[in-house]
Amino acid sequence: MSDSRVIMDESAIRRALTRIAHEMVEKNKGIEDCVLIGIRTRGIYLAKRVADRIMDIEGQPVPVGELDITRYRDDRPDRAKASGVLPDEELKLLVRDKRIILVDDVLYTGRTIRAALDALMDCGRPQSIQLAVLVDRGHRELPIRPDYVGKNVPTSRHEKIDVSLSEIDETDCVTIFHPREAEIGR
Amino acid sequence: MQARLLLEDGTLFTGRGFGAEGGSVGEVVFNTGITGYQEVLSDPSYCGQIVTMTYPLIGNYGINRDDFESIRPYVHGFVVRRHEDVPSNWRAQYTVDQLLKEYGIIGISDVDTRMLTRILRQHGTMKGILTTGNERVEELMERMGTTPLAIDQVARTSTKSIFNSPGDKERIVLIDYGAKSGILRDLTKRGCDVIVVPQDTTADEIRRLHPDGIQLSNGPGDPKDVPHAVNTIRDLLGEYPMFGICLGHQLFALACGADTGRLKFGHRGGNHPVKELETGRCFITSQNHGYAVLDESIAGTELEVTHINNNDKTIEGLKHKRYPAFTVQYHPEAAPGPYDNGYLFDRFLQMIRDNKEANPERPRQAQLSETLRGELQYAQK
Repeated sequence: MSDSRVIMDESAIRRALTRIAHEMVEKNKGIEDCVLIGIRTRGIYLAKRVADRIMDIEGQPVPVGELDITRYRDDRPDRAKASGVLPDEELKLLVRDKRIILVDDVLYTGRTIRAALDALMDCGRPQSIQLAVLVDRGHRELPIRPDYVGKNVPTSRHEKIDVSLSEIDETDCVTIFHPREAEIGR
Repeated sequence: MQARLLLEDGTLFTGRGFGAEGGSVGEVVFNTGITGYQEVLSDPSYCGQIVTMTYPLIGNYGINRDDFESIRPYVHGFVVRRHEDVPSNWRAQYTVDQLLKEYGIIGISDVDTRMLTRILRQHGTMKGILTTGNERVEELMERMGTTPLAIDQVARTSTKSIFNSPGDKERIVLIDYGAKSGILRDLTKRGCDVIVVPQDTTADEIRRLHPDGIQLSNGPGDPKDVPHAVNTIRDLLGEYPMFGICLGHQLFALACGADTGRLKFGHRGGNHPVKELETGRCFITSQNHGYAVLDESIAGTELEVTHINNNDKTIEGLKHKRYPAFTVQYHPEAAPGPYDNGYLFDRFLQMIRDNKEANPERPRQAQLSETLRGELQYAQK
C-alpha cells in the first residue's frame, strides 16, 4: 500500500521528448554521425520516439540501436567477460566512431549507465557518449551526469519512480509512489 | 617493455612499462595510501602529475565500477614498485594496465619507489619525464626542459556545462574546479539539491540559481592560476554560507586576503593527522595538496585557523570570523581514506539552517519553481 502521484502525463512526456530532440540537434549542430542507443525495454521506446521527432525537425533519419545491459550488471554473476559472451556484431558496426546518445527512462545511482558505458566500450570506440533521460531522480553514487533531462524529480530513497509507455504499458505516464510512514519502518 | 623515469635533477629510474606507450611530462609526486589507487587515478586533483605509490603492491584488487572519483583517470603517469596483472576481487572488472591503456596513460613498474620517495622528500617534488621509447637521456632532458608544466588543469577538469542532481532539501551550488564525485555523493546522500556549475561561472549566474549554500570543490594545481575564481568567491562571500575543500579552501583564503604557497613535497595519502584547535581532538584525514595557506598571511585578515596538520603544522582548516563560511584543506568526502570527517558536511548544512533562521527576511529559496527548473535545463546547452 502506498500513495501514488502522477508527475508527468502523456502531454508532459511528449513535450519533454520534443524539447530533448531539439536540444540534441542544437548541441550536436545537426545529427551528423549521431546514433541513439536505448537501454533495456523503455529506453528503446524513448529512443525511437526521439528519433521520430528528430526526423520531423531535421528531415534526416537517426539510427537507433538497442542495448541490453543485463549481462554487464555487476550484481549478476554471469558477466560478459566471465562468460565470454561478445557484444552483437550489429551494435559494433553502429557504435564505431559515432557520437552515441544513450537513452534511458530513469537516472538514479548511475549504475545502469556505468554498465552501459562498459558495454559500449566493448563494442568499439565511439567518438563521444552523451546521455538523455526522461527522469532524473537524484541520489547519484557514481560520477555520471545527464546531458538531456526530461524532468528533474527530487525524491527520497523510499520513493519509487515508475515510467509507463504506451508501447508496452497501455498508457504514457510517470508515477511516483510514496510508501506510508509505517512501511518505511522508522 | 622497458620504461624510464627521468627526474629534473638527473636521476634515472629504469623499470618495466605497463599501460600505454609514449612519453609524458609532469610533476612527480608520491601518495602514501595503501589502498585506493583507483580513486587516486581518477581524482582530477592529480591532473598534470606523475603519481608514485609508496605502497609496493598496486593493482591486486583490480579496477571496479564503483570507485571512480570522476568519469576518467587524470594522472599523467603512474609509478609503482610492483603492478599486479591478475587481480583477485569480486568487484574487479579489469586491471590497472587495461584502464591505463584505454586512456593513454603510461605506467612504470619495478621502480625503487622508496628511493624515489626519499629523493622527493629531500629535494621537494620536481618535474619528471616518463617514457617507453629509446631516446637518449640528453634528449629526454631537453624535452623536459622545453615542456612547461600545465597551468590550465582547472579548466581542463571542470565540468563544461551546468547540471543538477535533484534532491528535496537545501540547494547547494557546487563550483567545480575539478571536483571529486565524492563531494557530490556526500551532499546528495544528505538530500541536497545540488547544482554543479563550471569553474568560470560568474557570481551573478550563481545568484540566479538561488542557492542556500555554496560548496567550493577540490581541484588541481596552483590556486593563483585561477584568479577569476578568487574574484567570484570574494563577490559571494557573506552573501551565502560557504564550505570549501582543498583548492576551494585555498581560493577562499586568497579571496579573504591571505596568501598561499607551495609545499616542499605536499600531503598526499589517507592517514594525515589533523588537529581541531577548538577541541584539541585529532582526526585522521585523507589529503591531496601541494600548496597550502601560509601561516604568516592570516594576521590582518578576518580568518581564523581552525585546524592544523600534526606532522608539519601547516594550516588545514579556516573559518571566517564574521560570515558563515569555513573551509578545510583535507578531504571530508574521503575516497580514498577514512570517513571520519563526513561530519563537516553536516556542519555545513547546520550552518545553512542556522543562517536561514538568523536571516528570516531572505526569501525561502528551497522551492524552485518549475519555470526556473526549465530555464536551468535550457542553460545546460
